[in-house]
Amino acid sequence: MIRPTWPICVLFVAWRFAAGALAAEPAASNDGKGGDEAAAKFFETNVRPVLAARCYECHGPDSKREGNLRLDSRAALLKGGDLGPAIKPGDPQNSLLIDAVRHGEVVQMPPKTKLPAREIADLTAWVAQGAPWPGSAQGDSPQPAPKVEAALDPQAREFWAFQPPRDSALPAVQNTSWPISPLDFFVLSALEARSLSPAPATDKRQLIRRATFDLHGLPPAPEEVDRFLADTSSDAFARLVDRLLASPRYGERWGRRWLDIARYADSNGMDENMAMAHAWRYRDYVVAAFNRDLPYDEFIRQQLAGDLLPPADDATNFERLVATGFLVLGPKMLAEDDPVKMEMDIVDEQVDTIGRAFMGLTLGCARCHDHKFDPIPTADYYSLAGIFKSTKSMENYRVVAMWSERPLANSQKLARLAEFEKQVARADGALKAAEQVAKDDATQDFYQRLLAGAVGQGVVPGAVPKDLAGFYSSENNDALAKVKAERAELEKARPDIPYALGVSDRTPQDLRVHLRGSHLTLGELAPRRFPAVLAGDTQPTIAPAASGRLELARWLTRADHPLTARVMVNRVWQGHFGEGLVRTPDNFGKLGQQPDNQPLLDWLALRFVESGWSIKTLHRRIMLSNAYRMSTTYSERGAAADPENRLLWRMNRRRLEAEEIRDAILATCGGIHGAMGGTLLTNKNHTYVTSTASANDVNYDNTRRSIYLPVVRSAVYEVFSAFDFADPSTMNGKRPATTVAPQALFMMNSPLVLRQTRDLAEELLRTATDDAALATLAYRRVHGRAPSANETSRAIEFIARYQSGLAGANVEPAEARTRAWQALCRVLISSNEFMYLE
Amino acid sequence: MPRQRTDLAAHTGRAARAHWNACNCAGPLSRRDMLRSSAAGFAGLALAGLLADEAAAANANPLAPRLPHHPAKAKRVIFLFMHGGPSQVDTFDYKPLLARDHGKPLPFAKPRVVSSETGNLLKSPWQFSQHGQSGAWVSELFPHVAGVVDELCMIHSMHGSNSRHGGALLELHTGSDTFVRPSMGSWITYGLGSENQDLPGFITICPTLTHGAENNYSSAFLPAAYQATALGNASIPADRAKIPFIDNDQTSRAAQRLELDLLRQMEAEHLATTGPDLALEGRIDSFELAFRMQAAAPRLQDISDETEATLALYGLDDAKTKNFGRQCLMARRFAESGVRFVQVSHSYKWDQHGGLRKDHASNALEVDKPIAGLIRDLKARGLLEDTLVLWGGEFGRTPTAQGGDGRDHNPHGSTMWMAGGGVKPGMRYGNTDDYGYYAVENKVHLHDLHATMLHLLGLDHTKLTYRYAGRDFRLTDVHGEVVHDILT
Repeated sequence: MIRPTWPICVLFVAWRFAAGALAAEPAASNDGKGGDEAAAKFFETNVRPVLAARCYECHGPDSKREGNLRLDSRAALLKGGDLGPAIKPGDPQNSLLIDAVRHGEVVQMPPKTKLPAREIADLTAWVAQGAPWPGSAQGDSPQPAPKVEAALDPQAREFWAFQPPRDSALPAVQNTSWPISPLDFFVLSALEARSLSPAPATDKRQLIRRATFDLHGLPPAPEEVDRFLADTSSDAFARLVDRLLASPRYGERWGRRWLDIARYADSNGMDENMAMAHAWRYRDYVVAAFNRDLPYDEFIRQQLAGDLLPPADDATNFERLVATGFLVLGPKMLAEDDPVKMEMDIVDEQVDTIGRAFMGLTLGCARCHDHKFDPIPTADYYSLAGIFKSTKSMENYRVVAMWSERPLANSQKLARLAEFEKQVARADGALKAAEQVAKDDATQDFYQRLLAGAVGQGVVPGAVPKDLAGFYSSENNDALAKVKAERAELEKARPDIPYALGVSDRTPQDLRVHLRGSHLTLGELAPRRFPAVLAGDTQPTIAPAASGRLELARWLTRADHPLTARVMVNRVWQGHFGEGLVRTPDNFGKLGQQPDNQPLLDWLALRFVESGWSIKTLHRRIMLSNAYRMSTTYSERGAAADPENRLLWRMNRRRLEAEEIRDAILATCGGIHGAMGGTLLTNKNHTYVTSTASANDVNYDNTRRSIYLPVVRSAVYEVFSAFDFADPSTMNGKRPATTVAPQALFMMNSPLVLRQTRDLAEELLRTATDDAALATLAYRRVHGRAPSANETSRAIEFIARYQSGLAGANVEPAEARTRAWQALCRVLISSNEFMYLE
Repeated sequence: MPRQRTDLAAHTGRAARAHWNACNCAGPLSRRDMLRSSAAGFAGLALAGLLADEAAAANANPLAPRLPHHPAKAKRVIFLFMHGGPSQVDTFDYKPLLARDHGKPLPFAKPRVVSSETGNLLKSPWQFSQHGQSGAWVSELFPHVAGVVDELCMIHSMHGSNSRHGGALLELHTGSDTFVRPSMGSWITYGLGSENQDLPGFITICPTLTHGAENNYSSAFLPAAYQATALGNASIPADRAKIPFIDNDQTSRAAQRLELDLLRQMEAEHLATTGPDLALEGRIDSFELAFRMQAAAPRLQDISDETEATLALYGLDDAKTKNFGRQCLMARRFAESGVRFVQVSHSYKWDQHGGLRKDHASNALEVDKPIAGLIRDLKARGLLEDTLVLWGGEFGRTPTAQGGDGRDHNPHGSTMWMAGGGVKPGMRYGNTDDYGYYAVENKVHLHDLHATMLHLLGLDHTKLTYRYAGRDFRLTDVHGEVVHDILT
């Protein structure tokens, strides 16, 4: 809808002119033939020159025809451009041309400088008059504008990612002794094709460190290392993997990985950084889902449509409801004066996240125009958007808006709550009534005393004080106190109902295509359905009464969906090898990278679905291979032929991630608290976590695992952001591993590192006194190995020099010794051997 | 993460004008992309080697100085951010008709979307007069800035699209009020690197904690090296603002040197077992940089070597001006030392829905002298010619009244000014309507401001791109036109 903002004076002139013209020249017609001489003259002197001088540069016969719009004939104006007809003869208020020259909301033309009021008035009057265009019958009709939306190219479906995964037999290899698992054949065959050979197996110490960080995000305890080294049985590693997968630490590590995909946070971020105090239930749900190996297809269905799945027992129902928090977690502009824009931006964030998280498709690109590289037309985008438009993920769109939360309670409990709310309403009514009685009595009493001239000091005669509370009668005060006490008593009986971020369906609604992504310019209706390039002609039907979320979830998790399984196995592969088989894990489209080993990717995806979408089975399949056990050993030959290691001639070395670094420091130095779940956020729901002059007051000083520290958007814990924690404002399947000075400052000066290394030094000094023994203890603790003779002597020398330096600064010998060992521990923890995984 | 630059010539110029078939998603593939897609199969592994070299070069030092696209007029930026939205009609945009028609209704429609309802026209409580050779109108709120007005290039036709602080702040700083995007300082540092390897390339002093907070100065999807380093925040006075973890109270510099020397030996031995690895090699360098930064940053923040006259110039001798004065002085010191982008913030004070007379006056008092001092000082040191100074808020305010003594947010017309670094001094550009509500002549959108700033720094805003999530992003998205009329 066009709601122009134009000067009233212009409007007045326009209408006066139009009315005058029509009254004086009743022959003026609306047919655009321009039969009327005065109208023709007006057009030639006041309209055509304006169009020519102001518009033709971009919308004329020789120009680029911006927006596919020409303004050099009446027919062209009527036909319009991308945004629809430029004029509606006789109706300037609804003519885009007039809105544009008035610099209304949709477009502002000319873009830089508004036309003089006189010219705007003339154009307005001309449109009001019916837009007569002399000679327009004589064939100056415009050439057809090029079609904007290209039809879906039938070949688009041929692209590898849109084709279902293809099964293949195990490829032949020359070195038949190397493969110990099917996937090794795929890796080795690719290497052999380039005359490369795999790196030798890593040693057992590195292997247990690698496996433990991969599955737990923690270093193995020195005793675990010893045990594994001593275990020479053939299935020692398989049993280690089983033990690691069975531990709840596994869900904490892989749950955290999923939280990057889910752009999990405990605060909204964006413009109004409000606490999402119930978000943690979703985080705990994710950890539990990984720990019990919830099949991935069910995991998707619960997150997209848990509220719509067939009802089960209470606990199951609640869990599924919590899962839909996935849809609510996104960052939102909560203070947006245009509620329609706010709503569409939220829907867009959901569509974009779902596209990249589950399908590796950048659907968000198609919000404003057909996707430039992938066969996703805007109509497909708005078909999906309609599903989320039909989903209630916001409580309201006020300033400041509130997201949707759902009670975790069964119908009986909800009925009890409703009954309770009724009692509350009654009690509130009684309280209000009692207050009114007290007030009325006091007012009356006040006037009576005024009349009697008996008003006390401090009260202006003739005015009833605003606050009468001090003037209530004692009976009324007693009555009020009683009602208040009853109300307070009642509150104690409030049914205790927890809440979670969660969605529900609302009246389904199809969206119109938003031209250029704007809700102010609507195009064709886009019925709710799934992207044509993937769903093709066998679209599942969405019942008119349904939002389509459940249908979307089921369609995504069909066994033959070309992307869902591939995208997930690629994420898991990346979690073990540092890089995915597709190195752009969130983009499998044309601008993403092609798979480095598609037969392997497809083989894994098919086996994943066959296994019932079991993620733990997938871990075992990947880890119990010789590919996984390769060392990171450098080879000139490999580096020359395949510098990016795309064929996997060795294992990729990787830096620990932010949470791994913090957790490893805690685990190594001072012990880490193993408690699971719950929230450490103390801010009340929907209150500001950061505001004008108050810094993020969340307390991160805690020895719980990093996954349990609150994630405050736009004020992320500085330790995390220093080490490339994923920006929680957007889904992110791959964190970079940068090397920047703030990381070094953290290792050198942060209270966390200072305190933890102090604890470790003190503990070591309680255990041993001899420098050589202390050095061994320190190396074993931090690096899981004994120091070499050279390392020991260097450590001893370092301690001596450090101590003497502190002695020179008058530090007590005992304190100097502690600080020296603390410094050694700090250096060990800062070293690449600690920070990188071989 | 490697840098991506693509040729998006197809999207220059009028592409910015709302032409939806010219989104930067449509840019031709860059050399790197072509190498990548051809290297995707096994056949292209030799090409992939080239990629690795490129990536290695970029990885080696993300802040190494880089050549601009074209000769630059400005080498660095100082952004004086007036958070809250100063009123253009009470400061730099003189509107005699507003005084004449005080109390009358606005004779044209207000915007469809507003933050609050406003009433009739409210004249400025302050007198305007003309100053300098240029004869620019400045209200009595800014007597000191009026004294340097011949250095300023006023843009009276600024406009944006968001009527709320959060959206408007993000739009001003990042170009987007919808998504989290890299800040302009991050883009500029990404484009040009830094001239001082002992300091961060992008520094923000006492930044706001609200309305997007660190998303206003974050690198978003750009590599973390381009993130602003925050000195303190809005809750901390400027004299206590420090870089996070810049020191600790128990390790002396000599002790730390011992530790780094030991670390260096360990890393060398470790590297001997791993084979060449740029990331591992880069880590010890990052410790050395941190070590140098620990010395350099406090030295720059220690202003005891400034003369009394300089301190007075910035208003450091006056309780009212000393906090913002110190921010401005630090900005000069950082700029002088080669920091690419320095932002100082007068945090969330300019939001006078009520109490306009009192609070706009005290706000102006706090910043007027320090700002003028900064301009004079930069000029005296010869720094102004290649330092671009930008002054402004996230939006302007309505000429119509909110209550009897307030104005509402107004993203449709406001004044920002620039100085130095290649803009015409003593110029006024663009106009709002007769009452100062809407920008109407030579309109400059925030995207145009960004395009112009990049241009002055030698960067083509259509070519400074970064590939993320399947498309090439720009600071100006699909918009932005350089305002050539204001360039020297």
